[in-house]
Amino acid sequence: MVLKVWIGLCLLLTLTTAVAFVPLGSANLPIAIAIAIAKALLVLWFFMELKGSAGLVRAFAAAGFLWLLILLALTWADYSQRSDVRVPVTTISPRTP
Amino acid sequence: MTDETASPAPGYQYADAAQASEVSTLGMWTFLATEVLFFGALVAGYFSYRIWYSDEWIAAAAHTKVILGTANTAVLLTSSGCMAMAVWSQDAKAKRATSLWLAATAILGLLFIAIKSYEYFLEWKEHLVPALDFDPSRYGGVTELFFTWYFCATGLHALHLLIGIGFVVFAAIGIARDRLPAGMSVRILGLYWHFVDIVWIFLFPLIYLTGRNG
Repeated sequence: MVLKVWIGLCLLLTLTTAVAFVPLGSANLPIAIAIAIAKALLVLWFFMELKGSAGLVRAFAAAGFLWLLILLALTWADYSQRSDVRVPVTTISPRTP
Repeated sequence: MTDETASPAPGYQYADAAQASEVSTLGMWTFLATEVLFFGALVAGYFSYRIWYSDEWIAAAAHTKVILGTANTAVLLTSSGCMAMAVWSQDAKAKRATSLWLAATAILGLLFIAIKSYEYFLEWKEHLVPALDFDPSRYGGVTELFFTWYFCATGLHALHLLIGIGFVVFAAIGIARDRLPAGMSVRILGLYWHFVDIVWIFLFPLIYLTGRNG
């Protein structure tokens, strides 16, 4: 089981790296995120044993990600409405001589 | 979810060893939920900057070392496989194998840190380290912002990994000497290790696979 999951993870890693070099415009990011989610689910389900876990453990595991979705959704809801607020692009590091 | 490394007599607050194991599993998942939000805030920051600065942000990410980053991802995924084998060996009551798989996990963790350090060294040589050695005549402000985020994210991840390596080495030695401290469990340690792996699974495309075409 461990070997199969590890091979699956390596194949997904190869796939995501290869796809990143193909110009797909705005589709590159969603594809990379989708493959990352697939890898994370493999680790969660098999390596972290959610497959054989009780419902309570699965609920605890899901809770963190549910709150993360709320965090991301509300952050986007805010910043997507702030088109005119852009931090001035200047450097803060001292100039090297 | 019984764990034979748990001491035969669990603490008086537990009904039996199985309940003690279940409680510690839930405790680790609760901690990991807070960690999801801890690293989640960094990811939210990444997306905010990426939406604001779009092309400049993507161009900044292209300064990272994609070959080293990909190699490191493979190293970390393999270390997770070794950790899963350690838990599996423990369930099979093979103490020596458990200890050796844990040692392999720790060695791969150290290899990850070594490659990451080399990357930091290369970035230092290229004057890409904000506040310490950053060359504004070569790179723009968005690149500085990206690398500030990059060093925060990868630095915090590396710190988590170093803490994990410490515990894994401790457990490997403890099992080899047949003296694993009561309450310490390879299974719970595995949950933490795999979580640190998951964090990297998401950091990897955001950092290294961005700006590789066009």
